[in-house]
Amino acid sequence: MVVDDHPIWRDAVARDLAESGFTVVATADGVAAARRRAEVVKPEVVVMDMQLADGDGVAATTAVLEVSPSTRVLVLSASDERDDVLQAVKAGATGYLVKSASREELTAAVRATAAGRAVFTPGLAGLVLGEYRRLSRSPESGPATPALTERETEVLRYVAKGLSAKQIAAKLSLSHRTVENHVQATFRKLQVANRVELTRYAIEHGLDQ
Amino acid sequence: MSRDPDATAPLWRAAQLFRLLSCLYALGFQIAINDDLDRPGAAWLLFAVLIAWSIACAIAYLHGFGRRPAWVIAELLVVVALMLSTELVASRSWALDNQTWPTTLWASNATISAALLFGPVGGLPAAVVITAASAFVKGYVSLNFGRNATVIIELALALAVGMAAQTARRAHQDLQRAIRLSAATEERERLSRHVHDGAIQVLALVARRGREIGGAAAELAELAGEQERALRRLVSSAEFAQDTDAADIADLRALLSRRADERVSVSLPATPVLLAPGVVAELDAAVGNALDNVARHAGDGARAFVLCEDLGETVTVTVRDDGVGIAAGRLDEAVRQGRVGVSKAIVGRLAALGGSARLSTEVGEGTEWELSVPRRGECGG
Repeated sequence: MVVDDHPIWRDAVARDLAESGFTVVATADGVAAARRRAEVVKPEVVVMDMQLADGDGVAATTAVLEVSPSTRVLVLSASDERDDVLQAVKAGATGYLVKSASREELTAAVRATAAGRAVFTPGLAGLVLGEYRRLSRSPESGPATPALTERETEVLRYVAKGLSAKQIAAKLSLSHRTVENHVQATFRKLQVANRVELTRYAIEHGLDQ
Repeated sequence: MSRDPDATAPLWRAAQLFRLLSCLYALGFQIAINDDLDRPGAAWLLFAVLIAWSIACAIAYLHGFGRRPAWVIAELLVVVALMLSTELVASRSWALDNQTWPTTLWASNATISAALLFGPVGGLPAAVVITAASAFVKGYVSLNFGRNATVIIELALALAVGMAAQTARRAHQDLQRAIRLSAATEERERLSRHVHDGAIQVLALVARRGREIGGAAAELAELAGEQERALRRLVSSAEFAQDTDAADIADLRALLSRRADERVSVSLPATPVLLAPGVVAELDAAVGNALDNVARHAGDGARAFVLCEDLGETVTVTVRDDGVGIAAGRLDEAVRQGRVGVSKAIVGRLAALGGSARLSTEVGEGTEWELSVPRRGECGG
């Protein structure tokens, strides 16, 4: 499923994906439409723009995952909307790509996302790394605050410095798969923390009744 | 002026309330002492002038057209004239035994107006003039502050009211500046969203399709891609600039983000990396040196990656490239090539900031600079 408010882009991405052998089950231009369609078609992968007709990609990611939890979200954004992209990752997106990426990069990213792998750019690694650092410094940090292991920090730094998973694996004498697992773990911990945070907020404010 | 109202307006209003009370007090004084005066009729006539002038002043100050030097000085002159008229209506001995005729309390209105308009610097001379007029009427200067506190009260009044007016004006100016700043930021954000939605997307699309079609379209794609990156850079630096309009602190991300291009990837945290502006400029210049080195020596097609990390106590910027690197034994050649000269510049810049610069390289692995500066406790992250 392709979610983008720009009709030409939406069609271009859908066509590229169809030509590369994917089945585009639906397209949507906004949060509400994405939610409605995802509920029916339960897409494997959603390619998500950050700026939508009636909201942003963060809200759309949350909405889609609510009605179709097994869907994986790949953010395809026109600009480096730093905070937005980070929020989308916290909301459950597992990949990020800039729109200037080539068609090959896009199809490779969708394939990786479908296979459950995290799609990372050095820029996103820098964002995630920065977020963990911010969390560890914030006055409210406690045992529940997500933190990176030393290995995960090491791996993230390498990704942010532009090394491929293969190069990192070689440097750290790990398997390619282990490196990817470390990267995914950094995503997952942020998502879990985000959910815990939202739940706690809901309970504190009596929204759970 | 309606967009920029007078910050001291509430103070002027309060001062007119004081004026009303002082007129009532002067009226009471007038009734009480009228029989003791030499010329009660003239005194009542002058009192009518006092009331008329007070009403004129109140209207002028409340309305705002009196809040200017000419009016305030006129008020001061009228007050002094009325004080001096004591000699006309009362005997010398009465003047010695009592306060000057229209009462010192009422005379203080002139001090208050001057202090409101000119601040303490203008209020104090007005207080001195009022006190001098009082002393002239009495014919002596009373230094016995225990019995006659007129001087003290007038000076204190001028100082307090003047400082209140000054503070109000300054606070108002700050507020106005903040409002202007936030309006400008909002406009910039609106503009960048607009630019983002339309232009960047279309440029990215043209670049993409053009590359696929090839031939002459590939050239167009190249141009569109360049403009897309330039616009994206502009949008994101506008985004950073909003937090950093203060003069004593700067966001390192704003400068570093401008270094991004086709061959340079810049990874930044989502929150501002605040440092003194001088430190930011030097660090950015060092990154520029390192990137120049990459462009010159890392070989064709080498890409560079800049990673900025805020570690709280220190800020670290890493510049890595995936170029040819320098073999351990070939440092001499590197010196000849001029690579070490630039390295010295980088190390020098960081040393001047109290930080460190470390170069690691291996043949085929590219080079990596790690630049660290300590944060001197001036701000948190």
